[in-house]
Amino acid sequence: MPDIVLDNVSKSFTKQTHAVENLSLTIPDGSFTTLLGPSGCGKTTTLRMIAGLDLPTAGEITIGGTVVFSEKSGAFVHPSKRNLGLVFQSYALWPHLTVKENIIFGLEINSVDKLEVRDRLEKVATALRLDSLLDRYTNELSGGQQQRVAIARVLIMEPSVLLLDEPLSNLDATLRMEMRAELKRLHRETGATIIYVTHDQLEALTMSTHIALLSAGELQQFAAPLEIYEKPTNQFAADFLGSPRINFVTASLTSDSLVWGGLKIALPGPVNVNAPQEVLLGLRAEELRLDRVAQKDALVGRILTVLPTGADWFYQVEVAGQVLTIRHNDLVPFSYDDSVYVQPRPSSLKVFDDLGRAIL
Amino acid sequence: MIMSLRRWRIYLTPDRILSICFIGLLAYLVVIPLFMMIHETFIVHPLERFQIPGSKVNDFTLAHWYRFFVSDSAYAFFYRPLLNTLIISFGLSFLALLIGGGLAWLVVRTDLPLKATISNWAVVPYILPSWTLALAWISLFKNDRIGGERGIFFALTGFETPDWFAYGLLPITITLALHYFPFAFLLIGGALRNIDAQLEESASLVGASRLAIIRRITIPLILPSIMAAFLLSFARGLGTFGTPAFLGGPVREFVLSTSLYGNLIGQRPGLGYLAALVMILIGMLVLYMDHKMVGARRSFVTVSGKGSRLSLIQLGRWRWVTTSLVVLFLFSVIAVPLVALAIDTVMLIPGIYAWDNLTLHYWIGEASYSIGLGTGEAGILQNSQILMALKNTFTLAFVVALVTGLMGVLVGYAIVKRRGTFIAKTLDQMSFLPYLIPSIALGATLLAMFAVPRGPIPSLHGSFLLLVIVCSVSALPYAVKAGISAMRQIGDEIEEAALMVGASWWLRMRKIIVPIQKSTYFAGMLLPFISVTRELSLVILLVTPTNQLATTISLLFTDRGWYPYTNGIVFLLTIVVVGCTVLSRRVMGTSLAKGLGG
Repeated sequence: MPDIVLDNVSKSFTKQTHAVENLSLTIPDGSFTTLLGPSGCGKTTTLRMIAGLDLPTAGEITIGGTVVFSEKSGAFVHPSKRNLGLVFQSYALWPHLTVKENIIFGLEINSVDKLEVRDRLEKVATALRLDSLLDRYTNELSGGQQQRVAIARVLIMEPSVLLLDEPLSNLDATLRMEMRAELKRLHRETGATIIYVTHDQLEALTMSTHIALLSAGELQQFAAPLEIYEKPTNQFAADFLGSPRINFVTASLTSDSLVWGGLKIALPGPVNVNAPQEVLLGLRAEELRLDRVAQKDALVGRILTVLPTGADWFYQVEVAGQVLTIRHNDLVPFSYDDSVYVQPRPSSLKVFDDLGRAIL
Repeated sequence: MIMSLRRWRIYLTPDRILSICFIGLLAYLVVIPLFMMIHETFIVHPLERFQIPGSKVNDFTLAHWYRFFVSDSAYAFFYRPLLNTLIISFGLSFLALLIGGGLAWLVVRTDLPLKATISNWAVVPYILPSWTLALAWISLFKNDRIGGERGIFFALTGFETPDWFAYGLLPITITLALHYFPFAFLLIGGALRNIDAQLEESASLVGASRLAIIRRITIPLILPSIMAAFLLSFARGLGTFGTPAFLGGPVREFVLSTSLYGNLIGQRPGLGYLAALVMILIGMLVLYMDHKMVGARRSFVTVSGKGSRLSLIQLGRWRWVTTSLVVLFLFSVIAVPLVALAIDTVMLIPGIYAWDNLTLHYWIGEASYSIGLGTGEAGILQNSQILMALKNTFTLAFVVALVTGLMGVLVGYAIVKRRGTFIAKTLDQMSFLPYLIPSIALGATLLAMFAVPRGPIPSLHGSFLLLVIVCSVSALPYAVKAGISAMRQIGDEIEEAALMVGASWWLRMRKIIVPIQKSTYFAGMLLPFISVTRELSLVILLVTPTNQLATTISLLFTDRGWYPYTNGIVFLLTIVVVGCTVLSRRVMGTSLAKGLGG
């Protein structure tokens, strides 16, 4: 079954700029892999190269052991022969056809037997709750329904890989939550490999088994969601995942500890540094503790802003000349201008050198 | 070797193949003819041998250039027609701007009643053949200068119109302005409609008076459209032939287009081609100015707000007075000319408006040398020559509509698919090129190219194919524009979705792209159909006695003073053209106004 292997794939649209540069990636069979990154990072281009709609300028792409594109050998497998389905960002439903005609178009032009078409249509229509909508035109459907038609149109071809290009970006917040659950269910039930493109880190964290984090056409990290969250390999990865954004403070690194604002944080083991080294320490909002009363090993801070979200209380706190965002869920909330004591409680140490690379 | 062949196959996509093919085709049909025509201005033609002593046919010569620009007769050949052309073009553009802009303002910004009706009718003058009004002018205001009886105006009032009013620059300017004002109406109306009400409201909130708002906010905002309308009318007026021929001929006032025609079909092709060259240069200059002055600034017109509606200016007690005036105006530029034309077709002896002079002779009469004008021609509906010409016209219009419709789909597809690339820009600009060439001059370039056999291509002069070529090339910019906007609306993903399930290119075009945009493509075909039906300037140089069109045969009859026939033919064409427009609107919901924007 199909592992998807990208080997040193590059794509440039003009001579100067690279949309994707030397991307090597193995997407395991059956995974829900998300290509995540800010807009313009090359994630959609990568997806389109896997689909075969864009041709790489260099490198090789293999799907399930078959080379579908190779710059060197000139191999090329037509998109429709790669056994994958693509759901477009705009859904790309055909407005002059009904829902049913949209869904069975692919089977019809491939001259699939009428009885089988009917069976398969019934199956996907039920799975995606489209039974009652089959005779409508697509412009009479809501955004969520259009989305389901787009997916049904792809699923009926029974692809072994499902490619999804920012499928939820056109939906409102409630519908998006619903569709996330639905897509996860779909992944479980079909067992297909899903490659999912999004710029929404929360979507990536909640849905994927693997995340490939891209920036400026280059792969930053490829790992399970929580691993990237806990052990980002660089400052970009630490910064891009997590909401609210991670706090970065300047610390100095010695062979056995980190010193931040006079506070010592012990290292899990000794490191090899000769002289104290200036580093960035990443502390997530939940990795800082607030207290009203004086604590040992705490820095003094002051509440600047109170940001309740309902379930959580977030505070912007001025500590050692910096503004940090801290989550704190005490029964009695703090108020503006309160004096507080701040203690770092990192679950993993996220320390970066001056080039943004993770050390330790 | 095999590897590189394989790679070629990947990159040989339909959009690339189409791009290359059409670039080649357009080079052959537009660019090369242009150079051929320039070449013609430097050689001796058979009839010119005797004018240029000691020369042989096809010798290189600068004599044409000398005669046209420098010699004693240069004034008559070139400078006077140039001056006339400029006066008429400037005059008609100003006038068209005033009429069209004023109407647009009334319709969009005031509480004028009957808006929808007025908007619909305001476009009709452009749909009519451009020289309908010229013929109507002659019917109405003819004096005894060109022989025969005087016009309806004389019959009603007893006043004899002076020459300067009946013929020459003034009526040419007025009738052309009345034909071209719909450009200004549509462009300025569109711009006015797009203005975000908040822009004007914020000015009024800081205390600007209504007049100050119009002067400081509204007009600057629509300035690009005003310029565009002005230059478009200017460029179109430049290439028009029928009106100056009908109204200028009797007083021997020539413009560049009529001078071109006179020289080219006369004995001085070299001079004719030079006139065409000058017209092309002026046309390009004007539209280049449009591009420079307007193109860069046009962007802010599209920065339009959504939803916030402009408050309408209350006309108060002027409301019905204004409406009456507008309706009266439209009535007098649409109905009056048509009625005047119709009346002249049923008067046995032209100019005598009496009941006992009524006749259907010019419609259904037998050929006769004694009845009425004694032309020896059968009535229009029995006249095999005229019926053949009508048949040619509609065959041509139909074929051209199909050809340009198809080219619009394919070129639009190729350009949008390859957008951003050099090849797409080249194709885009080449398909726009015919737009820059005044229509009679476009005819001249193709005449230069195809009048004689070149290589394996035989002479196409007098062939139906040449007419198809010239009309298709001329309509191409509009068709491509429609094709591009249709493709843009579809977007790439709609097609790619079909490609992903294995639909071939042919299948994607047939089942997805064309069906989705069928009404846009249909409108893109309707426009060429209508413009070919009433086309004269474009084809006048290319028709021969064996392939007359309705328009050219009516010119022929006008030359002989047989106005009842001419008027009858124009009347028929008008009915057909207006009928097609209305029908297509009913059936397909397409609005011609959309395609006219230029």
